[in-house]
Amino acid sequence: MTGPRWIDFTGQAIFHTLVAALVVEALIRLWRVRQPEQRTGFRLLALGWPLLVVPALFLAFPGREAETFRDARALFAGRHWDDLAFLGVGLYGWWIGFMVAAGLGLFLLDLVPWLRARNARSPAWIAGAPMARPAEEALGQAAAALGIEKPPLAWVAEGPPVLFCTGTRQPTVVISRAAVELLDPAELAGALAHELAHLEKRDPTLSWALMGARALMWFNPGVQVLVRAIARDAERIADERAGNACRDRLALASGLLKLFRATEGRAPARTAGATPLSAALAEPIARARAHDIELRCRALMGPAPAPVPLARMRLAAAALGLGFLLFFVV
Amino acid sequence: MGSTVSEGARALWTLTLVLGGAAAALATLDAIPTWMHGQPRGVRRAATIEEAERRVQARVLLPSYFPDTLRWPPSAVRFIRDDGGSVALDFLAKDGAPALFLAQTVRGDAAIPEGLQGRLAVIQQQSAPLGDDAVLARVVAEDGTLWNQLAWRRSGRHFLLRGRGSLEDLIRMARSIHGEVR
Repeated sequence: MTGPRWIDFTGQAIFHTLVAALVVEALIRLWRVRQPEQRTGFRLLALGWPLLVVPALFLAFPGREAETFRDARALFAGRHWDDLAFLGVGLYGWWIGFMVAAGLGLFLLDLVPWLRARNARSPAWIAGAPMARPAEEALGQAAAALGIEKPPLAWVAEGPPVLFCTGTRQPTVVISRAAVELLDPAELAGALAHELAHLEKRDPTLSWALMGARALMWFNPGVQVLVRAIARDAERIADERAGNACRDRLALASGLLKLFRATEGRAPARTAGATPLSAALAEPIARARAHDIELRCRALMGPAPAPVPLARMRLAAAALGLGFLLFFVV
Repeated sequence: MGSTVSEGARALWTLTLVLGGAAAALATLDAIPTWMHGQPRGVRRAATIEEAERRVQARVLLPSYFPDTLRWPPSAVRFIRDDGGSVALDFLAKDGAPALFLAQTVRGDAAIPEGLQGRLAVIQQQSAPLGDDAVLARVVAEDGTLWNQLAWRRSGRHFLLRGRGSLEDLIRMARSIHGEVR
């Protein structure tokens, strides 16, 4: 592709994602789609738009990029905003530049801490540690309640409370002594069931796929936001599955809150090497994470959300409608 | 069964409203640059005459006589695709004041759209020495300035030339507009 075509592709990928995401979020609210699985389906439709549909439109309908289509048939043409210029550059160019910067910023906001965490020296995991017996028993009970095979448990003897699942080929649940000491038996069972629910849905593999999508669409702020929303939905799905399997939603909510307060919920310490930007961003990010936990706990305190009827028909109709609308957006 | 049908119908109605709202918002967003330029709907700007030619897919005919009191290239190039397409060029005088306006259709029988011509009041009109249907007029622009205006037809195209300079120059420029229509 030539330079102007790359600019058009970038602009359309960003704009289509924004329109698709806004339409999908409006439909989720108006149709009262509350079940996290169904919400994920709708959000995946918006996420798939820049990854699959926009490249397909460019390949299958090159005529959409012609000036005749842009001037006579398009419902919206970003290039028309180039009629207005600021400092010699069209406003469409400014808009694309701003969006690319926002997309890159959002991508780096998660990539940099993730890379730092990977490079940091983590405490050693011990498989089959004798002290892990209570956690092993709770994990076995949670696996039986979910009807899945019990995965291996890795024990962390020191450090703060940690409880997570990992591994795409060999799934493992990692738990620390501090986490076992922090949670009561019902909370521990709920938290372990939550991690098993992630493994049951192959969420570690999904998270790699989503990270790949973010890396591919690093310039697209809509994709960065959608992937975060889908990751939050994955947590809600695991909450619901664990709550149903353990039949104690309140214990799961309580365990979630305890783990959050013992780890991320602590007041962030000021570090000498922190940049003014990271310090300014730390508080809103911490507040957003606390808000996520609050929403998850609130959802667990109520009954399991009912699925909306005719979900597949709604999804197909939304995809068709969006396809028709966005064909005329260039 | 009945409730499923009504639920489906309600869902489709909501979808139609959301997509209709999105379409209206997109069309409005598309029209904003034109409104901000104070131009009617359908009038687009081009950076150069070549770009306008590409977008209307026709050659723009230019006068071979061009007084040296005017600046080249045109200060604004606008076009409209309706009714076969038309192009309008604005030229400034060397002192920076608006001095010349040339508009032409590129195909079809329709006249030059009013959206391209601008709002003017005709105060005097007579036939012009450019052919049977040529008209010479004296017009007043919105800012109160007086202009001479020539309107004629040639090679199936409508032309309109408006200038603040001498009438002789204007007629000479009109006569010098030649070229084969592609």
